[in-house]
Amino acid sequence: MNKKFLIFLAVLILISPICGVILADIVGYHEPLDLAAEAIGLKDLSEQLNWTPFYDYSVPGLPPEIGYIISGFIGVAIIMGIGYLANLLIGKKKEKEK
Amino acid sequence: MHIPDGFLDPSICILTYIIMIAYGIYAYYKTRDVWDTDKISQITVLASGIFVAQMFNWPIPGGTSLHFVGGALAGILLGPYLGFFVLFLVLLVQCLVFHDGGITTFGANVINMGIIDVLVGYFLYRLSTKISNSNNSRIIGAFIGGWMGITVAGIAAGFEIGLSPLFNYPIWITVPIMGLFHFILGIGEGIITALIIWYLQSKGYEQFIHG
Repeated sequence: MNKKFLIFLAVLILISPICGVILADIVGYHEPLDLAAEAIGLKDLSEQLNWTPFYDYSVPGLPPEIGYIISGFIGVAIIMGIGYLANLLIGKKKEKEK
Repeated sequence: MHIPDGFLDPSICILTYIIMIAYGIYAYYKTRDVWDTDKISQITVLASGIFVAQMFNWPIPGGTSLHFVGGALAGILLGPYLGFFVLFLVLLVQCLVFHDGGITTFGANVINMGIIDVLVGYFLYRLSTKISNSNNSRIIGAFIGGWMGITVAGIAAGFEIGLSPLFNYPIWITVPIMGLFHFILGIGEGIITALIIWYLQSKGYEQFIHG
């Protein structure tokens, strides 16, 4: 993967709490879907059904801004890890075909 | 745009899972000859970029926000079928690791963002380039594709919520509400999609654009 792209992603993740956490707290905004759902009385059951320690891009015991950054790196690492495993599988499959 | 648990009736959840799986098999069948390490790398890079881009929630006056979804962009860059796998990967990680989007509504979220947004964005972009294959036409196509992709995906979410028998609001209420919100905020999606296509063209990276 292109080194410049990885640095670009890392910088974006480092500044992402400005929009994802800090401004959200100051302005108090919600996603359009949440507003539309509120208008028609739907109830979000996510917290009652939760299974992950990283709920809503947070890390237990850490401030929300730091948790958001770490979550960003975790997410990208998992996506790249899945890609790496898929590449290994495809590579082995191609070797067998030869 | 991510529908959380509790917004959809179980019957709609099951139906949307079936549609998602059926489309996923079809998308794999259509692309089975092109899967190689390069394609997987492209999917992974784009999925990583879209995942990070979705973490940016931009405040909008009036108490709402928008974030880039990237379905149309994935369709324009990798085509409608590989684009599905990009968004599927992003949504899977968001759902399982961060509970962003419900597990019961995962099928619906994949349909809205990974199928409808990708297909609408891709076909409107292709239509624009068929009318004229100039750089401006590509940028306009990306803008309209990004904008309408999100709008139609929002309308689809309105149908899914409105068709859920547990809720009192029928589709003629849920569809206009969801459609209108996403029609207005989808302009931002269109602008970002167009800017990325413009950037790729200006840097001579046209080979990364599927259409």
